[in-house]
Amino acid sequence: MKHITDDDLTLLYYGEHENPDLAAEVARSPELSQRFETLSAELMRIDELMPPVRKDDYGSEVWRQIESRLTPDYVPAASRWKTWFSNMMQPRFSLAGALSLALVASLAFMLGRQANQPDQLAPATMDTQTVAAIPGLDTGRLLTASVSGHLDQLNLELTRFANESGAASTEAERATDMLVANRLYRKAAADQGKHQLAQFLAELEPLLIELAYEAHKASPQTLNRMQQEVRDTLLFRLRVMNQQLKQPQIST
Amino acid sequence: MAFRELVLEHSHAMFRLAWRLCGDENAADDIVQEAFLKAWRKIGGFRMQSGFRSWLHRITVNTAMDYLRKQSRVSRHETGAPELEHMAAGASQPRHDIQIDVQEQAHAAMMNLSDTERAALMLRHFEGHTIKEIAQILDMSTSACKQAVFRAVKKMRIELAPLVTT
Repeated sequence: MKHITDDDLTLLYYGEHENPDLAAEVARSPELSQRFETLSAELMRIDELMPPVRKDDYGSEVWRQIESRLTPDYVPAASRWKTWFSNMMQPRFSLAGALSLALVASLAFMLGRQANQPDQLAPATMDTQTVAAIPGLDTGRLLTASVSGHLDQLNLELTRFANESGAASTEAERATDMLVANRLYRKAAADQGKHQLAQFLAELEPLLIELAYEAHKASPQTLNRMQQEVRDTLLFRLRVMNQQLKQPQIST
Repeated sequence: MAFRELVLEHSHAMFRLAWRLCGDENAADDIVQEAFLKAWRKIGGFRMQSGFRSWLHRITVNTAMDYLRKQSRVSRHETGAPELEHMAAGASQPRHDIQIDVQEQAHAAMMNLSDTERAALMLRHFEGHTIKEIAQILDMSTSACKQAVFRAVKKMRIELAPLVTT
C-alpha cells in the first residue's frame, strides 16, 4: 500500500484527491483517521480569518468611487451583461446542518471501490464498522442512498433557514462539516460516473462555503435576500434531485 | 446600468478576498475599486467559458499582487506596513500567552506565507476554486499550484496547531 502523506489528506479534505480508494483507506485506519481529523481541525482554524465588516451599502460606496472613472471605451451590450448577471445570480443559502467527522469517516467507506457486486443496499446512517462488515456491498446504490440522506438534511436545514425570522442561527463549524461531506459525496459521485449528481453537488459547494465563512455576518437585508432565493429556487432544485435519487431506475 | 448591479453584487466578496490577500483594510478598499476599473476596461476580452467569477477573481488577485509588490519595494527603503508588522509580531509571540488572540494568530500565519501560497490557499479554502481553476487564475501550472497549496497548508498547520483544542 502506498504511504499516505499529509498532502494526500489535504487533497482529501478539499475533495480533490484522485485516488478513489483513499477515503476508504483513511476511514479503515484509526491512525489515518486521527491524522485526517487533526488536519481538519487545524485547517478549520483558518476560518478565524474574518475580514473587517463593511456596511451593507458598501457596493454603492464602491460604485460612487468609481463611477466617474468609467470611461465609455467599451460599453458592453445589455444582453450580454444580463446573461452574465443571471449566471452570477446563483442562489445562496444558509443552513445549520450537523455532521461530525465521524460521519465523514463513515462516508469515506462508501467511496471505496467495491463495485460489480450483487445488489445489497445499506442504510445511509450505518456506522463504519457495520459498513465494513458487509460483503458484496453495492457502493453505487449506497452512495445514492447516502447522498439522498445528505440532501434530506440540507432540505431540513434550508427550510428552517428560509422560514427563520431575525438573525440566522447558522453555526459555521457545522456548516464546514457539511461542506467537507459534500465534497466527499461529489468526488464519489464523479468517480462512479454519476455526473449529473456530481455537477449538482459541485454547484452547492460555493453556497456551502458562503454559509460557512460569510453568512453568519450577513446583514438583515442580505439574509432576507438569501432566504428568498432559497425559497424560490434552491429548495425546489434540491427536492427534485432528491426525488430522482429515490427512484433507483433513474441514472444520475 | 448593469455594471452597477455587478459592482453592488460583488463588492463585499471582492473586499473579503482582497483583504485576505493583502491583510490591510484600506488597501483592500483600493484594490476593490481598482479591480472593478480593470474589469470595466477588460470586459471586451472576457470569454464566457472562463466563468465570470473566476475572471473577476483573477483581476482582484492580480491587483492585490501588484499592491503587495509595491509594498515590498517600499519596505526596502522604509519600515514595513504597520499592519503587517503588527501581524508578524503577533506570529512570534510566545505560545504560553493565555491571552492569545486566535484571529490575530491566524492572520499573522497567513501573512507569513508567500504571496502565491496565500493566494492559492485563499482561493481554495474560502472561494472554493479547484486547484486547476486556481492555476489558471494565478497563471501557473497545475502542479506548481498544487505544491503552493501544500506548502501553504504545511506552514499554516505549524502555526495553527497550538490553537486547536484537544
